[in-house]
Amino acid sequence: MALLEIKHVFKFFGGLAALSDVVCSAEQGKILGLIGPNGSGKTTLFNCITGYYPPSKGEVVFKGQRINGLQPDRVCKLGMARTWQKVRPLAKLTVLDNVMVGALARTNSLKVAREAAMEQLKMVRMERKAHYLAGSLSIGERKKLEVARVLATQAELLLLDEVMGGLNTVESEEIIQLILDIKKRGLTQMVIEHDMKAIMRISDRIVVLNSGEKLAEGSPQQVVENPAVVTAYLGDANVA
Amino acid sequence: MTGACHLKALGPKVLSSLRGSPGRWWLVIAVVVAALLAFPQTMSSPYGLHLMILLFLSVAMGESWNVIGGYCGQYSVGHAAYFGVGSYATLMLLQYKHVAPWWGVWAALVAALVVSLLIGTICFRLRGPYFVLASIAVAEIIRLIVLNWKPFTNGAEGILLADIPALKLGDRVITDWLSKTPFYYLGLALALTTLLVNYLVQHSKLGYYLQAIREDQDAAHSLGINLSLYKNVALAISALFTALSGIFYGLYIGFIDPPSVLGVDLSVQMVLICIIGGIGTNFGPVVGALVLVPLSEALRANILTKLLFAAGVVKESSAVGGFLKENLAHAHVLIYGILVVVVILFMPDGVLGFTKKLVARGARQLSAAPQPLVGGLRGPTGD
Repeated sequence: MALLEIKHVFKFFGGLAALSDVVCSAEQGKILGLIGPNGSGKTTLFNCITGYYPPSKGEVVFKGQRINGLQPDRVCKLGMARTWQKVRPLAKLTVLDNVMVGALARTNSLKVAREAAMEQLKMVRMERKAHYLAGSLSIGERKKLEVARVLATQAELLLLDEVMGGLNTVESEEIIQLILDIKKRGLTQMVIEHDMKAIMRISDRIVVLNSGEKLAEGSPQQVVENPAVVTAYLGDANVA
Repeated sequence: MTGACHLKALGPKVLSSLRGSPGRWWLVIAVVVAALLAFPQTMSSPYGLHLMILLFLSVAMGESWNVIGGYCGQYSVGHAAYFGVGSYATLMLLQYKHVAPWWGVWAALVAALVVSLLIGTICFRLRGPYFVLASIAVAEIIRLIVLNWKPFTNGAEGILLADIPALKLGDRVITDWLSKTPFYYLGLALALTTLLVNYLVQHSKLGYYLQAIREDQDAAHSLGINLSLYKNVALAISALFTALSGIFYGLYIGFIDPPSVLGVDLSVQMVLICIIGGIGTNFGPVVGALVLVPLSEALRANILTKLLFAAGVVKESSAVGGFLKENLAHAHVLIYGILVVVVILFMPDGVLGFTKKLVARGARQLSAAPQPLVGGLRGPTGD
């Protein structure tokens, strides 16, 4: 069953079509990879889904409900949460407090939130850093903190925007394991990633965007063998 | 351990032993409150009481502003609006309609709440410096309305309070408001209440959400926080207690006019109390008030000249001495400003943050091995 359906979504900034006629869907419990060259509209699509900008045309349907134009906080309450490509830790709060802010979306009790937050910190293996200030973390830890915070909101659909960007191989491997662990819990994920090796490994399906249009969709194998995708990434072989 | 080292270590040791145990903090607070309750019995000078009342008022103003400015990070420089609306509503009701202040307060609080929701709805569409400018502008609009609506507010002449009716319980007169003592206790209650409000905000879901908004609005929004709702709730709480401070001021001084209760300098004063003391902390505004109130009073009393004379740097009879004695007191605002700038430059976390840092440094020197403090020096992954 499709948890999230994106139906013919357009987004215009002035005359520029940042997204045009994008159709895709995230299946329950699966990982949908989203790739494309820089400026192809991946993050814009996330922004349209999570309510940061309303789509100019088209529909976003989550759990059978149309969510176009809902504010991000409402979208989060419905069970969808995102991380940020440029990480946004609440720098002057501790790591635990950061995750608690996420957990408080589902409870009014600080005690319940604290326990839930600690559980998510264990999930991302950061419980030892619980009382550090979020601003003091390394980039790898910040990315994990983002994931823990999103998990704490009890989201059913996680939108992960380049959670491996800027990480070394060891840290990337940790994140890959984390994403696979999250999948084992039955949660659905949409993942933007530039690391092709990683995205091939984790995705069940991949959507390729180019200049705001969907270029290809299919299993990782189908996508790498698609000549249009190769051209988009490496340029036309005939020209060179 | 040598004696000298032991002595040096004592300060941090006492403080760090307090830090870990909330029970002992409550004991300290209880002792301070008891001393403050007993203070009017031992203090015969009205000026001493006046100074304490000013201190309570500053604490209340600072703590009120701290809710929206400190925790939520929305630097309103228009809080004089709530202060003025509160005091004007109460004093006008008392003077023109003979409504006793303990009834007028409620009308004044409703007025302040309405104004805060109005200002919040307009200004929270803006972020950062634009919010600051809008908050100043709206407060100025209110000041100009009060200044120019002469038949209603008595304009620039202000309101001079004739007298406050005696507070009676049955036939027993509780207070006739003639001495400073009732105001002392009222001020103390106000300061303690605002302190408690800050404590409750900080230790609640509201406090977490406000701090999340302060740190990163977009991230907060994505985590399910309704930005305009929580900002307006914070502003309303802040406005209500700012209005209470204004009401207290009006009743205590007995005279209000637009510059004294609606001016921008009053708004700035509230911000300064927090910045100097330590913004976004429970006790920061208390520290700020403890620094600023005595400082401004001492400078007004020309303490610098007196110190220079006492130290023998300048002779009182000399020409320079005469000049300083004549003129330095007039420069108290200037000197106050310079000192504020110096504190902000060298103590960016306020006096409270600076002291905490010193204590932490002292504690670190105590233990031989370096401990990982918050924000410690670990490897990039740490595990």
